Amino acid sequence: MPLTPWLSGSSHPDLPLTAPLHASRAAIGTPYARNNFFRQRLSGIGFSRKAFPLRKPVHHIRTTFLLMAGLMMGGANVAHAQGHQEDIPSFVQNGTLTVCTNPTLPPMTFVKGSDASKPEGMDIDVARALAERWHATLSIIPMDFTGLFPSLGAQRCGMVISGIIQLPDREKNFDAVAYQDTALTVVARANTAPINSMADLSGKTIAVQSGTSYATRINRENEALTAAGKLPIIIQQYPTEDQVVQQVLIGRVFAFVSQDVELYFRQKQLHGKVRIILKPDYSDYRHFAIYLRKNAQDRTLVQNAISTLEQDGTLTAYRQKWSISSQTEQALTQDTGASAFNWGAFFSALTSMAFLRGAFITLAVALLSHAIAIVISIPMAITLNGRGNSLLKAVLKTYVSVFRGAPTLLQLLFIWNALPQFFPIFREQWFTPFLATLVALSINESAYQVEINRSALSAVDAGQELAADALGMSRRQVYRYVIFPQALRIALPPTINDFISLLKTTSLASVISLQELLAITQVQVARTFEFTEYYAAALVYYLAMVFFFLFLQKRVERRFSWADRKKASANAS
Amino acid sequence: MPPEPDLTGAAPALHDAVGPLADGSMISVRNMSKLYGDFVALDRLNFDVQRGEKIVVLGPSGSGKSTLIRTFNRIEPHDSGSILIDGTVIDDKTNLTPLRCMVGMVFQNYNLFPHLSVVDNCTLAPQLVRSLSRKEAKDMALHFLQQVGIPEQANKYPIQLSGGQQQRVAIARALCMQPEVILFDEPTAALDPEAITGVVSIMNTLAEQGITTLCVTHEMAFSRHIADKIIFMDRGRILEITPPEEFFTTPQTERAQNFLNQMIRY
Repeated sequence: MPLTPWLSGSSHPDLPLTAPLHASRAAIGTPYARNNFFRQRLSGIGFSRKAFPLRKPVHHIRTTFLLMAGLMMGGANVAHAQGHQEDIPSFVQNGTLTVCTNPTLPPMTFVKGSDASKPEGMDIDVARALAERWHATLSIIPMDFTGLFPSLGAQRCGMVISGIIQLPDREKNFDAVAYQDTALTVVARANTAPINSMADLSGKTIAVQSGTSYATRINRENEALTAAGKLPIIIQQYPTEDQVVQQVLIGRVFAFVSQDVELYFRQKQLHGKVRIILKPDYSDYRHFAIYLRKNAQDRTLVQNAISTLEQDGTLTAYRQKWSISSQTEQALTQDTGASAFNWGAFFSALTSMAFLRGAFITLAVALLSHAIAIVISIPMAITLNGRGNSLLKAVLKTYVSVFRGAPTLLQLLFIWNALPQFFPIFREQWFTPFLATLVALSINESAYQVEINRSALSAVDAGQELAADALGMSRRQVYRYVIFPQALRIALPPTINDFISLLKTTSLASVISLQELLAITQVQVARTFEFTEYYAAALVYYLAMVFFFLFLQKRVERRFSWADRKKASANAS
Repeated sequence: MPPEPDLTGAAPALHDAVGPLADGSMISVRNMSKLYGDFVALDRLNFDVQRGEKIVVLGPSGSGKSTLIRTFNRIEPHDSGSILIDGTVIDDKTNLTPLRCMVGMVFQNYNLFPHLSVVDNCTLAPQLVRSLSRKEAKDMALHFLQQVGIPEQANKYPIQLSGGQQQRVAIARALCMQPEVILFDEPTAALDPEAITGVVSIMNTLAEQGITTLCVTHEMAFSRHIADKIIFMDRGRILEITPPEEFFTTPQTERAQNFLNQMIRY
């Protein structure tokens, strides 16, 4: 039976030390020890691991002792005592280790509780251990998967740890340090028969998380399939891992591709719904790695740190904590009853602090950015409405065209990921996702608002300005008391319309890690897989907000009864 | 295109005799021109308006009548020549606020502020520009609304009023600034005959009160019986300045004769 070797718990009996990837790493020296440790763990000698928690404090005492001794012996010795073990990588700045992660891949990195800003998992534990080792405070930045590498490149974080496969392609631009074994799995619905090779997927549709390397790997399979005259595998890409799994659960795709460690963890959520139908043994898909910006010294330091954590049993303890073991794989295929809409989960989501906070952030971003947009769009609209042609007008017209023309998502990504490359100030801590979203959406919305304001101003009869002028009012008074009140009536309905649209556009900001309503929802779905319930809760929140503003629009419009003869009469009587 | 003979030859005195500005008059205009790009809207005009005089400006469409009266409150700034209003030179440096307090204006399309009630239409500028208190402004507004005959409409919005009523509000609004000169820009052109009668009778009352009035209108009752002088314009030039009886019975220019024939026919 083809399933047995994968379930046996020794998925990697031989680590390919001769593979180019490892050959290059071998030059640093330490990986051998680490690899030996992997091998030990995998070949079942790892029972003594339970003793590690006892050894850990000993190690700490030793380190402390060395440090104290070093301090007492003076400067030169301090440097020596800290030496190769305690050197701190250059990306740890001001005593802070900043880590980017996409918390949708349990058990490596995911949101366990309701606080979306505090991911947990094996990766977070490893990051915390590294920070502790480097005497640094750990700062976690959760974000979309596609944002991870751009953020690392933009120096928004010192390292990325997010259950990412170590790949030669990625190592062209970044340094990688492996810390966890893994294997690729092909997973289908529970009643699907196992297959023998990737070629059996010919002509079938599979889902993968976008930004991951699975698609590239499958495309390589497709080249072989096409060469052999067979149909290629059809790939659908989804932004989060949970959406990938959903596609299989709802039967839209035949299978999804993921990592075994994730399935071990997900078996509780997925009990009996899916099964592993193939574990293709790709030699280059065997490790999760920490990624850093290219720096040989930093890489050595991280490598050393990981080796130490492996040797002192810290990593093994983490693996047990997060059930990263192959025994759990069997439980996956055991069947349980079908699930209906879980009202309990729906109501608890609806009343959870997490959703309330997400909704609050959504509302705050929308209100603030629209307010800023309105404020900056009014002088722009007045200028554009003025007579004649000026350079300023041409500049404003270009501004409006560019920001109306470019997709909002692109603008968000540009401000978050591209701007820091030109202006390093934008990679500092104060430039939060909230602020970046505010900037992007304010600029974007102002381009639309300019058009609304401009048309509203020009819709006010020219005779109004003339009459106000003739009465001796100043420019400011003419606008304040005559033009604006009338333009407001014309501008208000489309403005509220735009606001409602903006309220929903804020959901795009999840890609730059803003924890707004939709981001919260997705994180919760990734945790529980109760997607219908969480989507419904998010829907309720969005609709409640929109209906409130529609109600407000009606109320406000009633104040403009002077424009309607019947309503004006009704009000007067 | 060569200039037409009847224009160049017509009333040369009006164009060429450039005396000094008449300091004692309410309005004194010398060699005043206004251009829209290459188009000459007003062509070297000269005339004086005495305090309390009622002037009707007549002429075909596009002759520059509206443009002319709008230069007096500088809604349309003139390009060359001089305008003197109550002894003050009107140019770039003129402080417009006192000028516009002194020279009120009523428009063809009323141009009431639709978002303000009738009384607020009348009190807005006095409060903002003349710094009257709300109470003073309101008392004055009600006084003038009484004078134009619609005190009961004070709290309505303009959209609820008929055209004639709206124009009365517009007159009251102008009067609330207590101007010494009032400019009427075709005040009855958008009204039905009944409303015209009402508005003209208000204009008559104002004229009797001695306010200096310049009125662009085709309204014969006002032109014939109330006006002290008729200014007849064509293509940006003044062709005649004469008392109404003289103008309507023996117009001096052929252009005015043609114009009158058309006016009487319709």
